[in-house]
Amino acid sequence: MKLNERAEEILETLWVNNEKSPGEWMDLGLAKDNPEIDELLKLGYIKLINNRLSLSDKGMIEGRKIIRRHRLAERLFTDVLDIKEKLVHPVSCQFEHLLQEGIEDDICVLLGHPKTCPHGKSIPPGECCRKSQKDIKKIISVLSEMDVNQKGKVAYIYTKDNPTLQKVMAMGVLPGMAINLVQKYPSYVFQVGQSQFAVDKEIASVIYVRITK
Amino acid sequence: MNILEKLINILKPDKACSSCPQAKFGACQKLAASLEGIKKIAVVGSPNVGKSMTFNCLTGAYANVSNYPGTTVEVFRGKTILNGEEFEIIDTPGMYSLMPISEEERVARNILLNEKPIIVLHVVDAKNLERMLPFTLQLIEAGLPVILVLNIMDEAERLGIKINIEAMQHELKVPVVATVSARGEGIDILKGKMEEYVRTKICG
Amino acid sequence: MSEQKYADDVLGSSFKKIELMLQADYGISKHSIGSLLLQGDDEIISLVKLKDPENFSKIMEAVNFAKSSYNDPLSYIIAIQNQGKANYIIERAMEYGPSKGISYREKISKVMIDPLTGIPIMLLVLYYGIYKFVGDFGAGVLVNFIENGIFIKYINPLVIKIFIKIIPWEVLRSLFTGEYGIITLGVRYAVALIFPIVTTFFIAFAVIEDSGYLPRLALLIDRLFKKIGLSGRAVIPMVLGLGCDTMATMVTRTLPTKRERLIATILLALAVPCSAQLGVILSLLEGNPKGLWVWVGVITLVFVFVGFVSSKILPGEGPSFYMEVPPLRLPKLSNVFLKTWTRVKWYFIEILPVFILVSVFIWIGQLTGIFNFLTMLLTYPIRWIGLPDKTAVAFLFGFFRRDYGAGGLYDIKKAGLFTGNQLVVACITLTLFLPCVAQFLMNIKERGWRAAVGISVFVLFFSFSVGYLVNLAFNTFGINL
Repeated sequence: MKLNERAEEILETLWVNNEKSPGEWMDLGLAKDNPEIDELLKLGYIKLINNRLSLSDKGMIEGRKIIRRHRLAERLFTDVLDIKEKLVHPVSCQFEHLLQEGIEDDICVLLGHPKTCPHGKSIPPGECCRKSQKDIKKIISVLSEMDVNQKGKVAYIYTKDNPTLQKVMAMGVLPGMAINLVQKYPSYVFQVGQSQFAVDKEIASVIYVRITK
Repeated sequence: MNILEKLINILKPDKACSSCPQAKFGACQKLAASLEGIKKIAVVGSPNVGKSMTFNCLTGAYANVSNYPGTTVEVFRGKTILNGEEFEIIDTPGMYSLMPISEEERVARNILLNEKPIIVLHVVDAKNLERMLPFTLQLIEAGLPVILVLNIMDEAERLGIKINIEAMQHELKVPVVATVSARGEGIDILKGKMEEYVRTKICG
Repeated sequence: MSEQKYADDVLGSSFKKIELMLQADYGISKHSIGSLLLQGDDEIISLVKLKDPENFSKIMEAVNFAKSSYNDPLSYIIAIQNQGKANYIIERAMEYGPSKGISYREKISKVMIDPLTGIPIMLLVLYYGIYKFVGDFGAGVLVNFIENGIFIKYINPLVIKIFIKIIPWEVLRSLFTGEYGIITLGVRYAVALIFPIVTTFFIAFAVIEDSGYLPRLALLIDRLFKKIGLSGRAVIPMVLGLGCDTMATMVTRTLPTKRERLIATILLALAVPCSAQLGVILSLLEGNPKGLWVWVGVITLVFVFVGFVSSKILPGEGPSFYMEVPPLRLPKLSNVFLKTWTRVKWYFIEILPVFILVSVFIWIGQLTGIFNFLTMLLTYPIRWIGLPDKTAVAFLFGFFRRDYGAGGLYDIKKAGLFTGNQLVVACITLTLFLPCVAQFLMNIKERGWRAAVGISVFVLFFSFSVGYLVNLAFNTFGINL
């Protein structure tokens, strides 16, 4: 059965605490009379001894999944959608509960199996990450690391340098455009629409492409 | 400020005419324009779209063909006749958007801002419409009197690209013309649209 | 509520707020002005400050609020939105059918930009386009025909005869028909020497330019040019400099940063010989292939060395390279000729007055003795680099125009006054020597007084130092060319 949001958040808090200081039991505190605590106890996700809480093995697995969803959501909001930093966390808190199991793997694939969230905490790897290590072909790749003749669509442009961004936009390179790498050396030559452009490595390293072929 | 300037200011559509009835609007503008001297037509577009070729077709005069910088920073001006009246045509340096990142683009934008062209011909490479249409939209959004010229149509057709001109006109709400300026194709249609545009703008 | 939606609302409401506060007439819609403000366009910001001073601070407040609501620059967000609108129209008005396969032009293009095949092609283009066509045909066949076949045979004797009749005073007559006379030297150099060389170069350049080859050359050479502080884009002024350095210096204004423009100007002034000079030097070193290779080697070395050093010394960020690679096109003959014609015309309007002025200056200089004094002064550095005294005259000419100077060497060589070594040293020093008066004026116009004078002083010192070193090397290692 599916846990409610509140219950998921309790598991999340416990998991994060365990990540910080492994093996430590948390004070039950204000959560004392919460109905979700009883439910989680009943379902065997948590253990309660002397008013102190800890995750069971089953709870560990579930908590890990929730955290994975949360941090992937944060990555998604920062890298792909454009959401202001201070909003990323609260939005991700809501989003994680909406994600069906399995969808987070799709997001993970889309983002190219990121290792950390925008705040630098590690994202617990999923099944898809393990598979992808064998299968090197990435779904999203930076233009400078694509293979010659690989095709795709521009996913996003990521740079802190405004002039570089302006140059990329002047070429009409924007998310959604079909792009294909013609040559890598001595300069990067790519085709967007029906035009070809030559750029150096600095510019080729800010264009991220969702590979289609 | 001399008397002539004052007169022009009174007659300017956005000042005095904004309150007068629609019918008088055109007349005011016509008078204002005739007082301000020859009316201008600006040719804009990014490099390598046959902008200068289109300019040559319309003026018959010579200008450099590619975006050879030493010559296109110096703006080319020519003359053309529409409805029996003489117009000045300006071949602007290549520009990609209204937001300039080079000196040439700045020059081109200043022409649009300061010379008040009566028509802005946006010349695009038809096969790269996807990349060039955003600039057309910017020009329309800026309230400029745009005619979209889909140039190098032959290459687009060779690549299997079909463009529905009627649908484009419907969506953009500005005239759209297909040309192959290197061979002079479609220039007569373009001139026709320009004449029509001038007629409705000044007299309508 | 989705956060993207929230973000859109901030942008949308910022637009509305700003549009309401803009009161003045800007020639374009308030929405566009708002958009440019939000994208951080400095020029528009100062324009609004000027035209709407009372609302300015409030407007900027709204702009900054909008900026702070996004991670990415607003120009990016607005561009994406605009592209969305464009795509909506494209979907309704455009269809992609099957294309007719990869064209042969595409294949040729690939061969040109692949370094394995592209570099040999580049060398072939330079060899046939510049060396064979400009050097052999222009500077050899055509110059020979016009100078020996027309000027020396018919025009000079005729002009001298006419002037003897109309101007009885020997002194005044020498202004027109003397050794350095306006007609015998100025017009002859311009028409017989410079005209065929420059014309053949501009024909070659127009063909290369119209075919779309230049951007392909630029992308091949970008990595190399990065080492000397330039990007591949600078290949256009550099190749054009092989035609006319003055024109090329003007074209450096298309380079994106001040730093690149300065480096390019220095290199053009120092180490890029113009076609007039190149033509004369190629014919000077004709029949001395080893000497030609030494000349090419030294000039290339200087080019790379000075570029590298200035890229290390000059402050500022390194260049970045991006360029459209247009499809290859077969150049249209009429366009090539029209372009060549406009450029040759520009060139002559620029140089003919200088040529005539030079003749006048030399005439005055000779009359007053200043010319002899300067020549004498120049003989010191000339001796220092191991050249015969007579070369000083050629170098003095070089102050006015480098090709004039090279032309002077041509006359000395004809008189058999050079050894092989001396010829090579003279060619190297004169190639590096001061730019012509026109280029110096262009340097002032484009880079300002201080930079122009600085470059000239540096070039003067540097060219003689290199000449000295080459001569020293020849003597030390007992090389005889």
